[in-house]
Amino acid sequence: MSLNWKSWKTRLLLFLAVVGPGFITANVDNDAGGIWTYSVAGAQFGYSLLWTMIPITIALVVVQEMAARMGAVTGKGLSDLIREEFGFRLTFFVMLALVITNFGNVVAEFAGVASSLELFGLSKYIVVPAAALVVWLLVVKGTYANIEKIFLTASVFYVCYIVAGVLAHPDWKAAAIATVSRPKDVGIRNYGYLYMVIGLIGTTIAPWMQFYLQASIVEKGVTARQYRASRWDVILGCLFTDVVAWFIIVACAATLFATGRHEVRDAADAAQALRPLAGEYAYLLFAAGLFNASIFAASILPISTAYAVCEGLGFESGLDKKFHEAPVFYWLYTLLIIAGAGVLLIPRLPLVYISVLSQVVNGIVLPFVLIFMLLLTNDRELMGEHTNSRAFNVVAWATVVVVVLLTIAMLIIRR
Amino acid sequence: MSVVALSELLGASIRDSSGSIRGRVREVAIAPQEHATRVAYLIVRTATGNRVVPADAVKSCGASVRTSGEAAGWARHVPSDGVLLLKRDLLDQQIIDVHGRKVVRVNDVEFDSTPLNSHVVLTVTAVDVGARGAIRRLANGIVPSFPLRALLAKIPPRVIPWQFVDLLETDPARRVKLKIAYEGLSRLHPADIADIVEDLPPAEREAVFETIDEEVAAEALEEIDPKVRASIVGSLDSDRAADIVDEMDPDAAADLLDDLTEARSDEILEQMQPAEREEVTHLLEFGERTAAGRMTTEYIAVPEQAVVVDAIDALKRFEGSREALATIYLIGSGEKLVGAVSLVRIATSASTAALQDLSEPYIACERDTPDDEVAALFDKYNLITLAVVDEHGRLAGIITADDVITMLRHRH
Repeated sequence: MSLNWKSWKTRLLLFLAVVGPGFITANVDNDAGGIWTYSVAGAQFGYSLLWTMIPITIALVVVQEMAARMGAVTGKGLSDLIREEFGFRLTFFVMLALVITNFGNVVAEFAGVASSLELFGLSKYIVVPAAALVVWLLVVKGTYANIEKIFLTASVFYVCYIVAGVLAHPDWKAAAIATVSRPKDVGIRNYGYLYMVIGLIGTTIAPWMQFYLQASIVEKGVTARQYRASRWDVILGCLFTDVVAWFIIVACAATLFATGRHEVRDAADAAQALRPLAGEYAYLLFAAGLFNASIFAASILPISTAYAVCEGLGFESGLDKKFHEAPVFYWLYTLLIIAGAGVLLIPRLPLVYISVLSQVVNGIVLPFVLIFMLLLTNDRELMGEHTNSRAFNVVAWATVVVVVLLTIAMLIIRR
Repeated sequence: MSVVALSELLGASIRDSSGSIRGRVREVAIAPQEHATRVAYLIVRTATGNRVVPADAVKSCGASVRTSGEAAGWARHVPSDGVLLLKRDLLDQQIIDVHGRKVVRVNDVEFDSTPLNSHVVLTVTAVDVGARGAIRRLANGIVPSFPLRALLAKIPPRVIPWQFVDLLETDPARRVKLKIAYEGLSRLHPADIADIVEDLPPAEREAVFETIDEEVAAEALEEIDPKVRASIVGSLDSDRAADIVDEMDPDAAADLLDDLTEARSDEILEQMQPAEREEVTHLLEFGERTAAGRMTTEYIAVPEQAVVVDAIDALKRFEGSREALATIYLIGSGEKLVGAVSLVRIATSASTAALQDLSEPYIACERDTPDDEVAALFDKYNLITLAVVDEHGRLAGIITADDVITMLRHRH
């Protein structure tokens, strides 16, 4: 036994030290798609994508703050506002894009379920349909609200990456330099590299998060007057998300990339990044964390999509309604889960590839959602004195332009 | 007589008496001060800016709108608060469907166009909230109009007649000018009003509670989710809030004020009528989760010597809530509670019968009896009302069954 009691205890204490009660910060943004994308980025490109994290964090703070502010000032959801200000036709296409994009994300969440349980030798043909049923029931039967805290608590799993990152003895100097300046060893004209950059943007600043965040602010009844406190919530949440993302990349870079395993094909590969922390049990830790992240996001994504679409297009919505009172709402929710889980039943589906792809689609769709958000947050009639500051506009518009240019560049290189 | 949709009218080219196209329809305006449903004028985008085409100049509505008179005679458009602009204020906005008792989003607006003398009169008849309006909006201008109309004719309409539409407007001055009074909404059951209001954004909720009658507002407020209720009352003017709280059951009023910040609650109490204020302050002194926190001080009590006629008189004079009517309490010397007579016994007894003879053994609890025991008493004795007495055995208030049901439901 290489793992004696003493070292096990040290590791446990190490684990508990970070999982303190003060550290239960909500973080759905790091879902299955996120974990995969950060892992692949670190494994494939080492430290050379770390420079994206600072600009992404700035953009994330700005964009999330816009969504939260809009929710607090108007008391309306993002899709409601798009509908009221831009009319039916545009709303219809935005909602169509949202459904398609979010469908990809739902697939990624179920892929997370499948690959995490694969580590225990459980067949995806059993676990995915079971997970889909559990998620459907959790939300429709209203038990979700009770177990949200469990999901949140379990999210401290992300801290493992911070610890693993430290224990892996990464080249701190190289990582720090790579964070503030773009390393020259990988060219920006590389298709795979651009693909990953867009994936990182898309997974961190996911379009669906903006709809979800704004709806949550409205749901919580935050008003313009109480908004100051919520703003700090939002900013700290964003910072936590990205610190975790940075460490996932560093942990994967220091373990996978450093040992020449540049390709992440399945959960067993990605779990190696946690080896410095959990040793042989790395796969257990990884499986539990990925499973929690996947089910957590799978409980939120389809239902928040159904709400956004029905509110935008004027269909009856709400879990307090009966099935026959809000058929479109329930059908859309149910179909997203059935179809999302159904895709996973295709034999030999490349799970990691699909998950990362869904995040790249997030990135490609992001500028369009951002343009609507920018037009709305600059509307004086709507926002009153709470319109965007000039600095916010500069950051958000720059994000739009950069992501569009990156997408065009990627498509040109591809040909 | 024919039906015209707002989405067809918007963007339609407009021709003057010479027959040449002079611009495109940009807005359709109704002036509620003059006529509640008739279109007053069209706003037209022309080469020389936005112009106003009065409705009586419109000769026909179709793919293009034909008008009488010279384009040069169309006045320059000046924005006004007192008109309802159908595209801006109605299309894609939320309205209250009074008939269906819910909040819906407008997909399209339907007009009736009737020829009168040499022009057509356009009158708003209904708003479309279904698939027909949605598809028309989506396909209009992309799919040729003839097949589109054929397709739309096959879709069953889901429209709300105009008289069942209550518009939402958050600006109080504009609400007056547009004559928006939520009359339809006010006629609904308070529980339905509560459901509708819970579906609205905060500013619109306030608008409703600023406008509707205080008594209706009070009843609806009692049915609204406590968190939402506190936010509504928290944002109303304190004297308006006090007017509404005055009308509420004292126990509900106390619960509500308990949810507000102390400063806000004091502000409202200060503006209330002295009698109501005293009752509510009294209730506020007890814990929310005790009999005193749940009880109302509006009950019917008569002296123990009273007969059935006296009880009926008291019933007629009673202004409290209906739930409290189920039992009439008998008060003896020293204000002590001595008996309780159910409404059923009164209704089925001779008018001269002494109430003491009709009285049943009554059940009462103390003011500090906790919620659980209150619920247990209701369950054990199958009560409709429960008397709450003070340490001297005097009637302090009563708890009604509906309060217990609310309490049990909120516990989960």
